[in-house]
Amino acid sequence: MPIIVNLDVMLTKRNMKSKELAEIIGITTANMSILKSGKAKAVRFSTLEAVCKALYCQPADILEYVED
Amino acid sequence: MKDNTKILAIITYVLLVASASILLNDIREFDFNQFKAFQNWTSTVNKNESWFRSENAIKWSYYAISVGLFFLRGYLIYGFAHFLPILKEVELGHYFSDKNIKNFKKIGNVFITYTINILVLRYFLSALNADSFHFLNELKIEFTFLIPAGLAFYILAEIFKRAKETEEENKLTI
Repeated sequence: MPIIVNLDVMLTKRNMKSKELAEIIGITTANMSILKSGKAKAVRFSTLEAVCKALYCQPADILEYVED
Repeated sequence: MKDNTKILAIITYVLLVASASILLNDIREFDFNQFKAFQNWTSTVNKNESWFRSENAIKWSYYAISVGLFFLRGYLIYGFAHFLPILKEVELGHYFSDKNIKNFKKIGNVFITYTINILVLRYFLSALNADSFHFLNELKIEFTFLIPAGLAFYILAEIFKRAKETEEENKLTI
């Protein structure tokens, strides 16, 4: 998948744990793990909005396009 | 939903038991003694006669076809039995499981194989009895619904396959 999820980087920058972020944005830790590992097939705009709001960042800070 | 599947499972069980008992009764009533007369094949066969036209060959063919027809009826019951695991999966909430897809395909296979084989055997049976066999009439009378039903199950299997993919994709949408 050429879309890379850089959630780990942003979490480290904001000194936040993934469990904490999952609680803030209202998703399960299992879904957070899917999102972090890049196994997710799609991300809802509502989830993206909640992540950006919680981490004070832009979507581009989390998602990156890398050519195969 | 759970109650509905239970009712459907009970109806399926009743139908299976009823059709199996009808089949067993038909086998019991089928007079196997009628073949005793030609069981001593080698002693009674007329060596000068061509094998295919000999009375023994015709009787044995009739016997084999009758057994084949019984076997195919059993095969159809086996096909119907595949509804039970589908209902079980639905009851468990696994609507688009691999098991369901496989069972739908199997039911489709059984329906189509049954219809084709029955038509072939009926053709042979009518040939033995020197009756006229009208393929289209035979197809129209009894089996018209089974071929479309078989195809419908194939289509259903394909739809369930796509639905499974969509369900998986939905699960991986965060």
